[in-house]
Amino acid sequence: MSSVTIRGIKKRYGTLTVLHGIDLDIEDQEFVVLVGPSGCGKSTLLRMIAGLESVSSGSIAIGDRVINDVPPKSRDIAMVFQNYALYPHMSVYENMSFSLRLRRQAKDVIDRKVREAAEILNLGKFLDRSPRQLSGGQRQRVAMGRALVRDAQVFLFDEPLSNLDAKLRVVMRVEIKALHQRLKTTSVYVTHDQIEAMTMADRIVVMNAGRIEQIGTPLQLYDTPANLFVADFIGSPSMNFIHGTLHIGASGAHVQTENGTRLAVPLMASGRDGQKVVYGVRPEHMTLTEGDAGAPVIVEVVEPTGANIQVYCKLGETSVCAIFTDRHEFRPDQQIRLTCPLEKIHLFDAESGLRL
Amino acid sequence: MRSKLRRSILYWLVLLPLVVVILFPFGVMFVTAVRPRAELFVYPPTWGFSEFRWENFSEMWEKTNFGGALLNSVYVSVTATVIALLLSIPAAYAMSRYHFSGKGAYRTFLLMTQMMSPIVLVLGLFRLMMALGLVNNLNSLVLIYAAFNMAFTIWMLQSYFNSIPRDLEEAAWMDGASHFTSLVRIFLPLAVPAIAVTAIFTFINSWNEFVLALTMMRSSADYTLPVQIYAQVAGRYQVEWHHVMAATVLATLPVAIVFSWLQRYLIRGMALGAVK
Repeated sequence: MSSVTIRGIKKRYGTLTVLHGIDLDIEDQEFVVLVGPSGCGKSTLLRMIAGLESVSSGSIAIGDRVINDVPPKSRDIAMVFQNYALYPHMSVYENMSFSLRLRRQAKDVIDRKVREAAEILNLGKFLDRSPRQLSGGQRQRVAMGRALVRDAQVFLFDEPLSNLDAKLRVVMRVEIKALHQRLKTTSVYVTHDQIEAMTMADRIVVMNAGRIEQIGTPLQLYDTPANLFVADFIGSPSMNFIHGTLHIGASGAHVQTENGTRLAVPLMASGRDGQKVVYGVRPEHMTLTEGDAGAPVIVEVVEPTGANIQVYCKLGETSVCAIFTDRHEFRPDQQIRLTCPLEKIHLFDAESGLRL
Repeated sequence: MRSKLRRSILYWLVLLPLVVVILFPFGVMFVTAVRPRAELFVYPPTWGFSEFRWENFSEMWEKTNFGGALLNSVYVSVTATVIALLLSIPAAYAMSRYHFSGKGAYRTFLLMTQMMSPIVLVLGLFRLMMALGLVNNLNSLVLIYAAFNMAFTIWMLQSYFNSIPRDLEEAAWMDGASHFTSLVRIFLPLAVPAIAVTAIFTFINSWNEFVLALTMMRSSADYTLPVQIYAQVAGRYQVEWHHVMAATVLATLPVAIVFSWLQRYLIRGMALGAVK
């Protein structure tokens, strides 16, 4: 087990730069998730840690040892691939023992380690099967078993659950997290699914277009997103954004939307009167209100999920989503009034997208 | 069920002319090979024979140096196949996995060499072998067959190698394997079907090649089978057709054996199931 230190990492393919100087410290025993839309460079960064991509500039260190020029086989890193990458001509047992056999470990040691890992992953019955005889979830477990037997310093996961169906994904998510809590191996996990990131990570690294947008614990990212991108990316359904102008008066501050609605906001030191801003509020923080308070919206679509009701409305031209856990009755075209506690409101500068 | 039967019958009827064209020479060959000499030229021709003469084969073997020619053919075909594979596997691997300048041009070049028949080049090749001192030496054929088959084997292997997921090798590296180990223990076992198919083709091509063998080999002790059989027909006052046909039957046998042994690889796609 060990820490991973990434300093000023850049990746260029010819004239195309896909990573623009990444700095990241991953602590020993930490579970870090790299998340972002496809093409943001998260997989490239992971493959650079693995040694499968060369480093254009900057340095990667495991513990105190810089590994830029160390070949993958000598980095002592285990990796789980998106499509499992099981050796099709080997049985499950041979797949899991391959790395140990390469290291010429004693037969009884190999056997003990493989059976231990198989026990943990519930693969005991399948050791003699070939990969093609396994289901997707079982293959995924074998791929993890292959990493598990090695006691590697770092585990890398490259979107390991994206080939599984929704239900199995949830099961495996819990299993991977439980496994990490048990083994405490430093792990770097790449996904484009923010729910996976939120549920599994000790810390999340949100990436976009080859840059890090924000690093923080799941709740830090949820509560105080640093910019519009993170605010939009984290949370499902995503945050509502309403464009408007900030007005600061003696009685308090409000945002005047494009259709003239006034939305109360907390006083912020960094906001200027007349500044173009984006007013952000999460669907689950919206509440229904009566009388003159709150903003009037028109109900468009109502989606009951059982656990809650998602209501899609229009505030002028802007679409707004609200989630209620109470079972209200809504009809399309009904006018309702929505409000939100001041401490749950996020304000962003419209131009830079940064949080105020 | 009935319609399925009807369809099979229809398909077989359509295929029948093709089957006849292919099987007719084999029929003639076999019947002639096992006939007594006296029945060779009966009129009208029949498919029957009064006795099944295995002796034709043993007589032919003794009279025509068939054993020597068989050994020559086996040596040339096997060695040419091995050399072609040993050289084209790394070439195809490089083409499939690495980026280098001129890769496209190289592929086109390989394809273009396929458009040219070696017969067109036979004089040039002869002079080359003269210069190398290899005329009347079986190794000249080994060299030429290996070289002329390599364009096809590289092309064929490369397209198969492309279908083997790169992830498998990367996983092996992460597991602690060197490039060489991952090649030998992960990549090549998965490439066996393609290697087998290209081996079959190279072997059969080398086994059946005639014009170059006729040009390069001067003494009858070095003849390969096609030349040996040809020598029994050409420039003779009396052709022993039953011996010629017995020799032809025996010459086609090794090819049939090799093919039936390796054909299971043709249908086995092992890389499937590796990744979803």
